[in-house]
Amino acid sequence: MLLKSVEYVRPDTVPEALDLLRSNVGAAPLAGGQSLTNVLKHRVASVDLLVDISALAELRSITRTAEGVIEIGSCVTYDEIDHSREVRAGHDIVARVAAHIEDQQIRNRGTIGGNCCLSDPTNNLPPLLVALGATMNVRSAGGSRQVAAEDFFKGYFLTALEPGELLTSVTIPPLLSGVGAGYVSVSVAADSKAIVRAAARVEVKGVIGEARVVLARVASVPVRHRGMEDALRGAPPTAESVRAAAATIGNELEPIADSHGSSQYRREMARVVAQRAVLEAIAEGGGK
Amino acid sequence: MSVTSSSQAATRERVRSWTGQSITRKEDGRLVQGQGSFIDDMGMHGQGYAWFVRSPHAHARIVSIDPASALAMEGVYAVLTGAEAREMCQVPFFQIAPGDGGRIEEWPLAVDTVRYQGDAVAVVLADSRDTARDAAELVEVEYDPLPVVVDGVKAAEPDAPVLHEKAGTNVAWHGTYDFGDIDWALKNADHVVKIDRLHFHRFSSTPLECNGAVVDWDRGTGVVEVKSNLQMPMFAAMVMGPTLGVPINKFSFSSRDIGGAFGNKISFYPQIAALALLSKKAGRPAKWTEYRTEHMLTSTHGNERTFLDIEVPVMADGTILGVKARAYDDVGAYLHYEPLGAVIWSQVVPGCYKFKNVQVDFTTTVTNKCPVSPNRGYSRMQHLWMLERIVDIVAHELGFDPVELRKANYVQPEDYPYQTPNGCVYDSGNLPLSLDMALELADVEVWRRRKLELGTGTGKRIGIGIGSTLDSGTNNFGQARIVNPDLPFSGNGEAAFAKLDLYGEVNINLGTTPQGQSHETTAAQVAADILNMSPDQVTVTTGFDQAHNSFVGFSGTYASQFAVTGLGAVMGAVEKLRDEILEVASFALQAPIDELELGDGACAVRGEPARAIPFIGIANLVYTNNAVLPIELASRVTLNCRHVYVPPFQVPDTEHKTGNLTLTYSSQIHVCVVEVDEETGVVEILAYSAVDDCGKRINPQVVEGQVHGAAGLGIAAALYESFEYDEDGQLQEPSFYEYHAGTARDIPGIRSGSIESPSPFTPNGAKGMGEGGGAPLHAVCSAIQDVLGKNDAIVADSHNPWERVHLLLHSGERGDPRGVRVVSRGTEGAWV
Repeated sequence: MLLKSVEYVRPDTVPEALDLLRSNVGAAPLAGGQSLTNVLKHRVASVDLLVDISALAELRSITRTAEGVIEIGSCVTYDEIDHSREVRAGHDIVARVAAHIEDQQIRNRGTIGGNCCLSDPTNNLPPLLVALGATMNVRSAGGSRQVAAEDFFKGYFLTALEPGELLTSVTIPPLLSGVGAGYVSVSVAADSKAIVRAAARVEVKGVIGEARVVLARVASVPVRHRGMEDALRGAPPTAESVRAAAATIGNELEPIADSHGSSQYRREMARVVAQRAVLEAIAEGGGK
Repeated sequence: MSVTSSSQAATRERVRSWTGQSITRKEDGRLVQGQGSFIDDMGMHGQGYAWFVRSPHAHARIVSIDPASALAMEGVYAVLTGAEAREMCQVPFFQIAPGDGGRIEEWPLAVDTVRYQGDAVAVVLADSRDTARDAAELVEVEYDPLPVVVDGVKAAEPDAPVLHEKAGTNVAWHGTYDFGDIDWALKNADHVVKIDRLHFHRFSSTPLECNGAVVDWDRGTGVVEVKSNLQMPMFAAMVMGPTLGVPINKFSFSSRDIGGAFGNKISFYPQIAALALLSKKAGRPAKWTEYRTEHMLTSTHGNERTFLDIEVPVMADGTILGVKARAYDDVGAYLHYEPLGAVIWSQVVPGCYKFKNVQVDFTTTVTNKCPVSPNRGYSRMQHLWMLERIVDIVAHELGFDPVELRKANYVQPEDYPYQTPNGCVYDSGNLPLSLDMALELADVEVWRRRKLELGTGTGKRIGIGIGSTLDSGTNNFGQARIVNPDLPFSGNGEAAFAKLDLYGEVNINLGTTPQGQSHETTAAQVAADILNMSPDQVTVTTGFDQAHNSFVGFSGTYASQFAVTGLGAVMGAVEKLRDEILEVASFALQAPIDELELGDGACAVRGEPARAIPFIGIANLVYTNNAVLPIELASRVTLNCRHVYVPPFQVPDTEHKTGNLTLTYSSQIHVCVVEVDEETGVVEILAYSAVDDCGKRINPQVVEGQVHGAAGLGIAAALYESFEYDEDGQLQEPSFYEYHAGTARDIPGIRSGSIESPSPFTPNGAKGMGEGGGAPLHAVCSAIQDVLGKNDAIVADSHNPWERVHLLLHSGERGDPRGVRVVSRGTEGAWV
């Protein structure tokens, strides 16, 4: 069969879902299905039981605290993020990135949780969440824990989730005054995968304060570039100093090569997109 | 402007001619409502579903095939291996090539050796597509890998691994085309621009619908029925017949709606032949619908061509005297339609230009890659791209304005009909005017100012590019004899059948297989003009059906010819029908024919509207009331009129490789304005225009649609789409994940314009225009060239992904080889 025969269950509550995931070794949560069904179609993973969590209300809410902390349920779709007033209010960049995931049919179904849990290096949200210092809220039948986004992505199609665990939501700290975010990609075409990508979160108080610079498509997971971050800290928020900081990106990166870009090109472009993402973050932060 | 269907009747009185109007397409109603009949909608009683077992290796000996596990699976009907298929065949597929290339053997499935990744070694038939796919995974094939060659130039070298032992070489065809006197031109030119290498890349125009077929080998009658989405069914029949031992009249081919075909649905006869044998073995029909990755790996790719050692003699005033080059056409592992690419380019030897001295040493090689087949712009596009590159490079190197250099070298409006150095006749056109219009449509003056304002240091550069191209249409198949003088092919033609049905309905039946070219609509328009009625009153049956349609060996929809051959046939058939109607009416109304007129489905005596007979009355007299007619008239008039349009061609001179190879030459001039990002090489199209001249337009909107379609495919090919193989012969882009087929998001708004230079050689002044000639590839490369500096390398590849553009932008700083040099005659006549 195109899809091998598989059991399917749609639990009514999160605990019920967690029970199913714990008690079935071959179980996998199904949210929007935009990646998992392709994985199954290509027979690169075998799943015996699909636990459809897409309708669980608890996983589908977006909340925003008075301090500007936002929590997005793992089954919230890209389209809902794009159109969320809560997200747009303080985290416009998250909405903008969600809005650029092609195409509308996928945005109607695909979820933030699925985007993260697949850990496909071409996915849009992981580098952004790492840059924004997001926290991944994880539950299992035995309890709950929090994992920093930075520690969540472990490799190609590999995350910090243990068997039986479920990502329930993502918490993103506020982007306060003077803090901005940027996100820049070089893509094959308008609605294609990125060749290389950078996300940045930069604090400016006269000079650059804390900066987080994350590169994607240069390794199996989004990577923070500490060298560039260190070079930015205390530097004036100018194009020249950002360019100088980006120059620290070098041969420590060994990006993959494919027909859309050699390793060398990706390394060079990593500098370009990192620099642009940081400048975008500075501009955005300065506008507040 | 188009008019709606309901207003077509209302405007009937005011419209003098339906030809030339953008009337609403007759086929849209069913197509946009999901009521089309595509191949996957087809089925036959008791059918099984087929899945091909394909080689993961690019080149290997087949050591063994064991289908036992697959056959043991529930629901599996049969497995057919390559060796079994060969036993069931009479001879290998017919080869066009002479000599060594003619000894290349191909059977429905690979026998003993696989020659490209995806080569089919067996095919499974089962009770569902999914069962067949699962079973195919269980067919155990042992391979012994062989060395691989994936470079079309290296394949010709003596130490290259040979794909086909019986041929003994990878060179499938070689010949030198030599027109005018290139040695004289190179000696007497003021400058010779020498270009090391230009490479036209491998890609394929992507149809929404992949290939498919339902095939039944009827054991009772011996008839092989083939429902498929082939776009040139009788070509497949002629190739398959001798191999399967089936006479043509025991085939029953049909093609209905086709979800896109750009030449790539001409040549999947090996798959259909394998399905026929599978059906014969299993005793039930076999249905196959191709999987997308299967399509990308194995269906067909476009010709990849490398030009080496190009020399262009140029005079001080910019007059280009000619071109000399070596060309290598990489056609993949087997010859499907090839090596016709080795001659078809010569329909447009000088492109849009007047130079007379051309020498091209042409080699067709086989490689361990997917076989090629005609792809929109087939073979001419590659050559025209090379010519446009050299014109831009000459301008760039010698400091000419690319616009003025083109205008000075174009064939001029007063030169038509213009005979090219190899005897082709360009029928009509106005290239300088087309270029001016295209420049204006793209607001080039504005962009030139913007380019200057932008200056340096902004990180952005603006480039303006031009693509001048020809879309040669209505082939003289005699050109095949230039490749192989023994081939029994020449001329061209198409058949149509016009009929008045029992109650006077007007029906036209075509042998064509439209894939969006609006044959129902345009055939109805020309018929309506002849019969003086509305196109709404004319039924056109398109889609090929061997059992019902009138056809000739050339029938199909390909190679930019329907407006000439198809409509030529329609006009002839409808004129015959009109004459029969008038003859019967003349008897019925007792009035001479020259006093009769047709209108709104009736025939009346001019000036006496009461003396009239409707078409139903005519039909009645002929079909069901014929004792009323004189016996001579009743036995002669049938109201069933067939006409074959035959263009006026002669057999070419195969020794000198000259002759009139195509009847019509549409032109397209495209202008592309790009912004290039210096840091990344990313190219953004800021403005795009296309001016088409295809002679008399039957339906302007239909023409415009095809201009846009061809432009979209070309732009995507220029920037996004490429099929590349690694050194082991593994395709790097086997799915849409890697191969970015252009979408509406990528293609800029296209401003299109047109002029009409009627062809003096066609029945209606129209010319074929569907292929478009690859103008976007020329224009995009030209625009990228325009942003490059004096010391940068030249744009030498038709595919320019960002990294390649980035390399070009910074090639001067690095001192990379530029790939071009100019040898000039000094003031004393010495070469410097």
